[in-house]
Amino acid sequence: MSQRLRLAAVSFLNARPITYGIEQGLVGADRFDLRFAEPSRCAAAVAAGEADLGLMPIASYAASAEELRVVPGIAIASRGPVRTVVLVGQVPWEEMTEIALDGASRTSQMLARLLSKERGLCPDFVEVPHDQIADAAGGTRGALIIGDLGLQIDGRFRHVYDLGKEWDSRVGLPFVYAVWAGRPGVVSVKDVALLQESLRLGLQRRPEIGRAWAVENRTDPAVGEDYLVENIRHCLGSEELSGATAFLARGFRAGLLARPMRVRLFDAPAPPEPQPRPARTLGAWGARRLRRRRTIAGGSGNPSRVPTLDRLLHDAAAGERITLDEGMRLYSETDFFDLGQAADLRRQALHPQGVVTYIIDRNVNYTNVCTTCCSFCNFHRPSGHPQAYALSREELAQKLRETVELGGVQVLLQGGINPDLSLAYYEDLFRFMKANFPLAIHGLSPEEIRYLSQREGLPVQAVLERLIAAGLDSVPGGAAEILDDEVRRRISPNKCSADTWIGVMREAHGLGLRTSATMVFGFGESPRQLVGHLDRLRRLQDQTAGFTAFICWSFQAEGTRLPLQDDTGSLRYLRVLALARLYLDNIPNLQVSWVTMGPAVGQVALRFGGNDFGSAMIEENVVATAGTVFKISASDIERIVRGAGFTPRRRNMRYELQL
Amino acid sequence: MTLTSISEKVNAGVPLSFEDGVALFHEPDLLKLGALANQVRERRYGDRTTFNRNLHINPTNLCVASCALCSFSRRSLEQPGAYTLSLSQAWDKLKTRLEAGDPVTEVHVVGGLSDSLPFDYYTDLLAGLKRRLPSLHIKAFSAVEIFHFHKLFQLQVREVLQHLRAAGLDSLPGGGAEIFASRVRQRICPNKCNAQEWLDVHRTAHQMGLRSNCTMLYGTIETIEERVEHLLRLRALQDETSGFQAFIPLAFHPENNSLAHLPAPSAVDDLRVCAVARLVLHNIPHIKAYWVSLGIKTAQTALWFGADDLDGTVQEEKIYHLAGSDAPQALAPAEIVHLIRAAGRTPVERDTLYSVVAEGEALPARACASPAGEPR
Repeated sequence: MSQRLRLAAVSFLNARPITYGIEQGLVGADRFDLRFAEPSRCAAAVAAGEADLGLMPIASYAASAEELRVVPGIAIASRGPVRTVVLVGQVPWEEMTEIALDGASRTSQMLARLLSKERGLCPDFVEVPHDQIADAAGGTRGALIIGDLGLQIDGRFRHVYDLGKEWDSRVGLPFVYAVWAGRPGVVSVKDVALLQESLRLGLQRRPEIGRAWAVENRTDPAVGEDYLVENIRHCLGSEELSGATAFLARGFRAGLLARPMRVRLFDAPAPPEPQPRPARTLGAWGARRLRRRRTIAGGSGNPSRVPTLDRLLHDAAAGERITLDEGMRLYSETDFFDLGQAADLRRQALHPQGVVTYIIDRNVNYTNVCTTCCSFCNFHRPSGHPQAYALSREELAQKLRETVELGGVQVLLQGGINPDLSLAYYEDLFRFMKANFPLAIHGLSPEEIRYLSQREGLPVQAVLERLIAAGLDSVPGGAAEILDDEVRRRISPNKCSADTWIGVMREAHGLGLRTSATMVFGFGESPRQLVGHLDRLRRLQDQTAGFTAFICWSFQAEGTRLPLQDDTGSLRYLRVLALARLYLDNIPNLQVSWVTMGPAVGQVALRFGGNDFGSAMIEENVVATAGTVFKISASDIERIVRGAGFTPRRRNMRYELQL
Repeated sequence: MTLTSISEKVNAGVPLSFEDGVALFHEPDLLKLGALANQVRERRYGDRTTFNRNLHINPTNLCVASCALCSFSRRSLEQPGAYTLSLSQAWDKLKTRLEAGDPVTEVHVVGGLSDSLPFDYYTDLLAGLKRRLPSLHIKAFSAVEIFHFHKLFQLQVREVLQHLRAAGLDSLPGGGAEIFASRVRQRICPNKCNAQEWLDVHRTAHQMGLRSNCTMLYGTIETIEERVEHLLRLRALQDETSGFQAFIPLAFHPENNSLAHLPAPSAVDDLRVCAVARLVLHNIPHIKAYWVSLGIKTAQTALWFGADDLDGTVQEEKIYHLAGSDAPQALAPAEIVHLIRAAGRTPVERDTLYSVVAEGEALPARACASPAGEPR
């Protein structure tokens, strides 16, 4: 380590804690030369070879011609309001025809463009010099104000949007503004440790740093201190990495970045006291708590104990439990093939016989009357509508007879929330079915069961007991969508909450019913919400072991009232499926959804973690109404399964092989 | 022939052997095969994925060949669905497109083997298109059609190409190669020119400085060995001439033809062919995931299995659609850009010769106020 390392940093208030230890000569005095420059200059200095490491805006990092590495554990980030990146104007965002951008900032510019686009807005963007930006807003023109100026705009504008907060409420992840970055190999593990130590000392001194800044700027001493302590986060842990990855991915999708980018890290120092990985018996919650203690930066902890992606994939493929944060990293950061191969390995370990199962069943939608009115559904009709129906006994018997004749072993019975149908109706229906047909009844989603409980004024448990007595064999995992109330409020405000859905499943498992679990993604949910869904399923499964299988698909938009805003393509489906295979270490079967994704994607999905091809469905109204009309026979399924290199076998409702 | 030893060869730049190709088709681990092909693809092009704005014109479906694999051809005008475009009808397809403010850089012209149209029809067709848009690149007539003109009009292949070039021809499409093995050709397309004749047409074109593409129709009755042999024959010609720009795997579609008893190749087979082609055809620059043939979702996935091109906006393809393709008739440029981005790749608009037309912010974006549904 003979040569000195040249650092280019910014002198803004929010960066001071990062450089504090070095500036004070407490850390790396014989190793670092520290210079201060404008943010955009920090990246240019690295590009020109004038500095080895720059504290650079994340957008500059992403736009760099060379592939740079980032120092782990250190960032300028926020979770929620940031106060120094604000969009202001005299009219609401939706009415702004033009937005003035501060020419000094690349990341905030990109964030403003991205968030406008994601709100469905197309204002014109104009660049304005830094010193004129505060006066640029007026009429229908908004202005993006960045930097310390943002701390002093109270009351001047009728509409103020804090973009840190906007990002958080949209994505549910921290936003990363700047990172230490340089060419691969320029810093050693020891340098990383020194830089982290400088930050650690700076974090302890945030009140002093903030007050000193306030004195210099002749402002209220509390402003600087609050800002550093409350608004800015200086950690680059897995959440921040996921946030940065989400920003770069969205920027690329929106055409704001020329290529897809990931945040690549320099090697981190090894943890001083390696702790054993949490044992499976801890459960997800305990494991996550332990992991969080190990990864949170600042204070006295080491900020960078994040396992490498390779390590994580290896562990997950070997069946080790991964945490929510790790799941988010796998989802956002891993290479397509790496994730697929890890899931394929896991599938192989769980199902070593090379068998892919399927079932012959019929999906009977007994009614399309529904009062829930979810924006993404094209199946429901109000009671009394000319297209409203509830199947008569004769119609139903005809369908069930055909099912038995075609070798069917199960009926999937789902409908709407029909206020005309009582619990007694279902009891009669099930008894009739059981008395006449040798078919398992896989019926009524948690939403329908919750509705019956409400309609009859009975506890969920009592409803389930009566349904079981009448013949119910298992409960399909529908209506789960994304188990996160923020998403549910947006897309299906009248459907049961995530807690209720889990609660009904818990009761069902407690009564000995096996159920499946589903997830529908592509509603603009954040990675945290998506992995959080898997986490809720995994936690319940730890307690009940009642789920037989997990099935996911992407939202099918055609003909529904919910516009498609999200990526619902095949590549994302394969990623989500592979992630689910790794994350759901306690759910044995993963069913691929050829009904929604198409047989081609369904077949490929068998190499991304799936081990069940679902059913040769004789009827599927709900998704078919939204434009998906794939119909394949049992022999088609067998050919497709063989084509993927597996042996097809028929199964029953409990995923047991049929003879 | 393990995947590891093949991978070493690929990394060392050693051409793969026949046995290697067969082993790759039999490799059970699809993702390992894909990752290796992707490595080759990314080393050459990174994430860049090209497409172009093109127009398909199928001037006639009258055909004397009667191939078992075809759903497009008609023997005579009396048969239902038989047609021949008049010259002005053909030219109007371009005119309509341009007047709609939907520019094209390439027209792709292929049709049936008519025995009634005069040679002037073909030269006038090209000249008229060129007159309406001088910058247009005309990619026209598969080797099978060129060979048919040679026979019918008693002209040397070189003369046919010279006349067509004088009328505006810029390059040849890669169709009609099917599978070279004569065993298969006898069954699926006995009246088409044979493998040697197909290759000779391309050799002549390349010698004249015309570029062309090449294809393989898979999923009928061919064996793995016949597929590999086909690829190797293409590779051998490319070693000689370097005239092929792209290889396009064509999945057989079984509807409305006399091979309808065969199942269509599955997505895993589609991805496998794509990956093996990328690895075996080291000297052919581009592998095209032709979305009309593969379907959009598989074509997107193929961008990770060796393919670096999604073909074009197309409009209005007839041959695959008559064979049951459920892909849309056309994709708007902004839609293709979106599909490439959604597949995690970087879209680049190219011309026929693979020069960059537009990239980055210059590419069209989908209207942001009302996001459209995913095309199916």
